[in-house]
Amino acid sequence: MKKKRVLVAMSGGVDSSVAAALLVEQGFEVIGATMQVWDYSQCDIVEGAGTCCSSIDVDDARSVADKLDIPFYVLNCEAKFKATVIDPFIQSYLNAQTPLPCVNCNTFLKFDHLIVKMKELGCDYLATGHYAQVLKNDRGESVIATSTDDWKDQTYFLFTIDPSIVDKLMFPIGHLNKPQVRQIAEMKGLTVAKKKDSTGICFVGSQGYDQFIASQVDQKILNTKKGVFKRYPSGEILAEHAGIHLYTIGQSKGLGMTYHEKLFVIKIEAGSNVVWLGEEKDLYQSAVDVVDCHWLNHVENGEMVQAKIRYQHKPSPAKIVKTEFGFRLEFLEPQRAVTPGQAAVIYKNSGSLDSSSYEKILVGGGWIRT
Amino acid sequence: MKNRVYLDHNATTPLDADLVSALISETSAGTGLLRQWGNPSSVHSYSRGPKSILRETRKKLADIYQAHPNDFIYNSGASEGNNTVFHSVWSAFKMTKPDYFISGVEHPSLMRAAEYLKTLGANIFVIPVNRQGQLDLDFLKQNISEKTALVSVMFANNETGTIFPIQKIIEIAKGHKVLVHSDCVQALGKCQLNFKDFDLSYATFSAHKFYGLKGSGVLYIKKSSPYTNLIFGGAQERFRRGGTENVLGISSLGFMLDKYSQLPEKINSMQTLRNQMESEILSSIKLVSMTAFDSPRLPNTSSLLIDGVDGEILLMSLDLDGFAVSTGAACSSGSPEPSPVLLAMGLSRDEAQKSLRISLGWNTTLEQISSFVKTLKICVDRIREANAAEKERETNNKVIGAL
Repeated sequence: MKKKRVLVAMSGGVDSSVAAALLVEQGFEVIGATMQVWDYSQCDIVEGAGTCCSSIDVDDARSVADKLDIPFYVLNCEAKFKATVIDPFIQSYLNAQTPLPCVNCNTFLKFDHLIVKMKELGCDYLATGHYAQVLKNDRGESVIATSTDDWKDQTYFLFTIDPSIVDKLMFPIGHLNKPQVRQIAEMKGLTVAKKKDSTGICFVGSQGYDQFIASQVDQKILNTKKGVFKRYPSGEILAEHAGIHLYTIGQSKGLGMTYHEKLFVIKIEAGSNVVWLGEEKDLYQSAVDVVDCHWLNHVENGEMVQAKIRYQHKPSPAKIVKTEFGFRLEFLEPQRAVTPGQAAVIYKNSGSLDSSSYEKILVGGGWIRT
Repeated sequence: MKNRVYLDHNATTPLDADLVSALISETSAGTGLLRQWGNPSSVHSYSRGPKSILRETRKKLADIYQAHPNDFIYNSGASEGNNTVFHSVWSAFKMTKPDYFISGVEHPSLMRAAEYLKTLGANIFVIPVNRQGQLDLDFLKQNISEKTALVSVMFANNETGTIFPIQKIIEIAKGHKVLVHSDCVQALGKCQLNFKDFDLSYATFSAHKFYGLKGSGVLYIKKSSPYTNLIFGGAQERFRRGGTENVLGISSLGFMLDKYSQLPEKINSMQTLRNQMESEILSSIKLVSMTAFDSPRLPNTSSLLIDGVDGEILLMSLDLDGFAVSTGAACSSGSPEPSPVLLAMGLSRDEAQKSLRISLGWNTTLEQISSFVKTLKICVDRIREANAAEKERETNNKVIGAL
């Protein structure tokens, strides 16, 4: 019988390398591909310093592919990445939000562009090294569920996936935890076994996002983002600040001003460039408005769900209420630092799955507005 | 490993089978080329074989190209040759003759050498090339002057296979006493050429485009042409290029030059196969056009534009099925950009992205070509179907609306 052909998105990191290795072991015809997303020669970041997809990482992916004896290709995605990830990332900061570029990369590149490439290459599946799982529900439909590694679970970044492609996806390491993945890499002699995890945003690197924005945006435009810090809720002007793009909700360090008590960024206003500073208690809110929604599974208006409002957020119970442009989450407990530009992602318990499973089903999500 | 078919001879050529034998042969006299590891500059007997290789290869070059043996300088290949020419001409004239003409479709080694001269004050005139791959010679005629130091146009283009009218360029340049260089890497093994008929000031070659080893090449320099070292060193190449010669690379070139007499027959067979392949492709696959089809072309090259197909993915699909072809110049990461050559010819980015280059070699067979065309059709059909299905998916997207 002809082997099923799988395209594996290989970043050069340990997760996607092990994903490829496991698929080879399982007898698939595996094709590795790395998306070349950013021309690192244009910026000063230190290549390979724990970022993904720099040219050193392309070499790492290539060397893993050689070790596994699978075909490997580099796909040029620079123009698409700039238009759908980098530019919106910059605009988001300039519009007083804190962007989530990994979701855009998944939406427009990994699970759109690569899906097309997968089909064009005659592959049956697309695999990635995400900590997530594709499981069957009781109707036999493929659904995305959380990884068994709670800490690494990456389903938060997957809520925009088109439900019609879920049965074409494979997450070969989703049932493993990170130490297990590293152990497999070691056993298989993959050179990336001990490679540092990618942290932060791949194209920003070690320089920090503020430096990255400064390198990409005309200083004249950045100057128009300067404004003042105001004390929340009194409105007292505290100091001038260097630009709204330099702050994020909940930030208390690096504000560039001193005050007799610890202050946090509570709110950032795009038009007036006012950055509101308040006490930690002012950071909490129960209701979160969400727009531009994507759905992988059904949910009822008024249903109780689990919701995450940032990647490292513990899913928390909330009631979901339909609104004109999306939905509102009414959390049972007030949530800290609800940040516009981040995603609110909805989960349900996997009651319909095998009763021994404790994974949660990814239902969908949208973008936090307030 | 399945039987692979190599159809990318313009990128590099496989090592000639007889050459491989000659390299590894272990004769009792120890004459295998790999045995010739001595330093040709030494005095002792170990230098004799290597010296002889350098001398004999130079003689063969002189015979074939109808020039003097000393007109040839061994180097690392055409990129070095191209850089040496620009460096030499600039060193000779500097700002007294600051104008340089190149075509818009040259190799990056030449483009970037020209760009560098620009930073030193040179004026770089780029001769436009049209969609058929033809040079705008009127542009050259109108702008060449006594301020012009050099005209540099490749003999034939690596991507479209277009053969440029070097003879006419030489005539135009001679009228103004201007030097002419031609990057001839694509001519070697595919075109008849000699320096009696083509009165070039400089020409560059690489052994690996002619079934020889990589890292070895030759710069032809006419006696009267200015020359300045790019690499200073010992007495090698009459002090014109420092560094111990790549004897093995040069021996591979010398070995292949012995087969040069087969060229007319090889040109004929490649052209016949190429033409047959093109007619099979045109008759079996819809919406395909040939770039520079009506221009004088290398006998081995086909440049296609295939509607509704991303050339990058087509290349990968063909590779998975055992056929090696090319789309455009690959960057160092191996991630293909749309071909700068096609963009310079006025094709849009979208058009350039659906291009595919097939380049045949001396040993390509009819059987290989027939099986290639069949596979090409299967891959093209699959990619077109995948795209159609994808458009449908996008239209039906987000049908599962909750809430």
